[in-house]
Amino acid sequence: MSLLRDLYRGETQFDFVGNRRKWFAISGAIILVSALSLVIRQFNLSVDFQGGTLVEVENPAGASVTEVRDTVTALGFGNVRVQTTSGGDGIRVQTGQLAPADEDRLVEAVATLAGVDPNDASRQTVGPTFGDQITQSAIRALIVFLIVVAVYITWRLEFKMAIAGLVALGHDLLFTAGIYSLIGFEVSPATVIAILTILGYSLYDTVVVFDKVQENVRERGDRHTFSGIVNMSMNQVFMRSVNTSFTTLLPIGSLLFVGSFLLGATTLREFALALFVGVATGTYSSIFLAAPILSVWKEREEHWQRVRRRVERRGGEEDFAPRIPAATPETTAQAIQESGAVPRPPRRRKKRR
Amino acid sequence: MSRRSALLTLTITLAVVYGSLILTQLSGTTPLLGLDLQGGFSVVLNAPEGTDADVLDQAVQIMRRRIEALGNVQEPEIAVVGNRSIEVQLPGVTDRDRALAAVGTTGRLEFRPVRDISPIPGISPLFFQAPPEDPTTTTTTTAPEGTTTTDGGATTTTGDATTTTVASTTTTGEATTTTTPGTTTTLDPKSYIVLPEGVTWCDEVDQAGCVDFATGLTPNPAPGLDAFLVSSPEDGEIAYHVAPARLLGSDLTSAQAQFEQQGGGPTGGGLGRWVVLLNFSSEGSAKFTAVTRELARYGCSIPYPECDPTSPPGDPRRQFAIVLDRVVVSAPQVNADVDPAVGIPGNSAVITLGDGGNQQEEARNLSVVLRYGSLPVSFEQATVQSVSATLGSDSLDAGLIAGFAGLALVAMAMILYYRALGLVNVIGLTVFGSLVLVIFSLLGEWQGVTLTLAGVAGLIVAVGITADSYIVYFERIKEEVHRGRSLRSAIDHAFTRAFRTILTADTVSFAGAVLLFFLAIGAVKGFALALLIATVCDVLVAVFFTRPAVALLARTRVFGEGGRLSVRGAVGAAKEEATA
Repeated sequence: MSLLRDLYRGETQFDFVGNRRKWFAISGAIILVSALSLVIRQFNLSVDFQGGTLVEVENPAGASVTEVRDTVTALGFGNVRVQTTSGGDGIRVQTGQLAPADEDRLVEAVATLAGVDPNDASRQTVGPTFGDQITQSAIRALIVFLIVVAVYITWRLEFKMAIAGLVALGHDLLFTAGIYSLIGFEVSPATVIAILTILGYSLYDTVVVFDKVQENVRERGDRHTFSGIVNMSMNQVFMRSVNTSFTTLLPIGSLLFVGSFLLGATTLREFALALFVGVATGTYSSIFLAAPILSVWKEREEHWQRVRRRVERRGGEEDFAPRIPAATPETTAQAIQESGAVPRPPRRRKKRR
Repeated sequence: MSRRSALLTLTITLAVVYGSLILTQLSGTTPLLGLDLQGGFSVVLNAPEGTDADVLDQAVQIMRRRIEALGNVQEPEIAVVGNRSIEVQLPGVTDRDRALAAVGTTGRLEFRPVRDISPIPGISPLFFQAPPEDPTTTTTTTAPEGTTTTDGGATTTTGDATTTTVASTTTTGEATTTTTPGTTTTLDPKSYIVLPEGVTWCDEVDQAGCVDFATGLTPNPAPGLDAFLVSSPEDGEIAYHVAPARLLGSDLTSAQAQFEQQGGGPTGGGLGRWVVLLNFSSEGSAKFTAVTRELARYGCSIPYPECDPTSPPGDPRRQFAIVLDRVVVSAPQVNADVDPAVGIPGNSAVITLGDGGNQQEEARNLSVVLRYGSLPVSFEQATVQSVSATLGSDSLDAGLIAGFAGLALVAMAMILYYRALGLVNVIGLTVFGSLVLVIFSLLGEWQGVTLTLAGVAGLIVAVGITADSYIVYFERIKEEVHRGRSLRSAIDHAFTRAFRTILTADTVSFAGAVLLFFLAIGAVKGFALALLIATVCDVLVAVFFTRPAVALLARTRVFGEGGRLSVRGAVGAAKEEATA
């Protein structure tokens, strides 16, 4: 109960930075597994990436999957994949590339079996290069996006934060991709979109966290070690992160649920799945990965080492800094407000070493 | 934020947002649904690697013209995506084959001698045919539609119509109907207009070469028949009456835009002009020589013996029209120094561009048209998709249900957690939702922007981002209160701080969305647009709704300083009070 109350009030004192080895180990393991899976199992790519024909019809006649598969195979189409959609109300047939005439034959056969007019069938024909094109454009968007964001964060916050944020981002992408590969979910253009969204979301989250860190550095920079400040900031934003993830996961969850069970809008399901995984890992990585990386890196700076020595001389417990402001919060806050003697922020850019 | 300014901002915001929502809904402006939500046909075409952007734009224009010619396509969307693809979206189109042919194949290029040019742009030369014996109708016949004339006019035209039966068999039928208009005073132009040999008026079926009665133009020209065609709107919609095609695009082997020095010497130094150099196949050059021999007889300024003495200078019959997909692209004149006895010999010819305009660009465009027929490059179909209307509406339902369920869940969570502040959030979400709906409705109406399934998904994600903005703000209020500020001061102070964070984070989302929008293709684009709009709305809602709403709420007795359900109840007391 008291933990909940502390959580609610942002007064928890988790030691995020001190346990960093644990987080790094977890993340490292995740990345390793993901990477291995990506290499060994690879992706289950949808028709959009492989090229081929996809036919989707309603199924009022209630044709079974085996029935459809047998019929389609009997027509001489190899490499056929038949699935039900919309919770069993629809049939989806996927084949390799077909000539237009063959495609018409296929649509007609499937539509007849399912008991619908061939004109009511949805179909998609994808050339072999379309998937590459999507991937290429996505990768190009990704690279430009990363550069722009790195520049923006550097300008708005600082360079090391930009890099730490991008590392966390890479972790999220790898993890999501790894899950897809490991479980064998189909990767469609919707998945690509979702993964691009994760980019935005993961960075959004990291930026909120770093913004807090920077603010705390400005306000009480010289009195605490950098790890202490990061710890303090993490505890302050922890509730917000948990809340946000929760509220973000709610609509995505509803998308996933509706898409999978109620109406079988396959695109929605594919989309929601990647998002669900991505948002969850995005929250994790901004707190447990981006922030510790930043603190380890910043601690090496001359300025912060000096601060650390000074804090140690005064006998402060350097890694558990959050306890210090928690013990005397009013004095700190009031000192800032009333005297206006805000400690000088560390210089943004250090001279070349 | 003072009470008055908060009240004012809030009232204006709510009035504007809900007012525009009601207005758009009342006027029936709803978001335009993408074809994955309403069914339709879409195709992505790939040009070869390294195709010029101008060339793609040109192809898009040509495709658009052809799609419009298909008829009954609502809001076709044809756009260049990526660096070498064109995406064509035709909602509601079911005729796959025709649609594919319209966008995917190269067009028909014809060279047709000009017979006549209409003096008024946009109006078919046919309508300038006056009944020769009646002077009163000369003015009225300029109108394209049926015109009113006196009884005398009607009788003369009937007489005229009977003479036309020699040239055209179908006009006799019409001629009999015009005997009655003497009483109705409306004169059917079909009765007196003389159609060229073999050409008929269009009936229900647009048979090749027929002339549309309303426009006086040929919707679907046949190469072997006369045609009535116009140039493109950019070229002033000049209406031509052209003879059967004498050369086809296949007779041409190449066409190049070139800069030609004037005076022949290399010292021209900038003096010169842009020309298009044509090269013909051996068969083509023979045909071209024959055509030019005929054309050179008209409108002579140098009195060659073969010249037609009755033809005045500037006779349009000296021109030949270059026709592409029923549009006259250019109608160059045969040069004055061409001897009608010889024509233009050899396998090449030069088209000199008229004065004015950007000659270099005109020359280049003309050469592209000549070279490639219609589509400046040959496209490969990357993906062809047709979505049935039922599947589309299923997806829309799923999106809507998921969206509303998600909103309801978020609203519930926020009220449980933040109590009175959560209420602000719930109203804020409806403001956000209305704003997005209005923007998509208007964009659909004005720009033809469609809402796709991916867009719906993007909006649902945006609900999370919006909720986050509230959370950042509310957590900040809590924090400021814990530091010992009064509730009011905490609320103002927290907004400034939280807004900075929200703005930074939204900028990142925004940048991502913009880049995706411009770099990605297909569904990704729709998603990016939704995210983009939602991010902007998020910032707007934070400033114009959340801030004044929270400020006002905190000032009220019940919601502000009341019990457990109030703002105070949600943020907790300041530290001193809590520990005291």
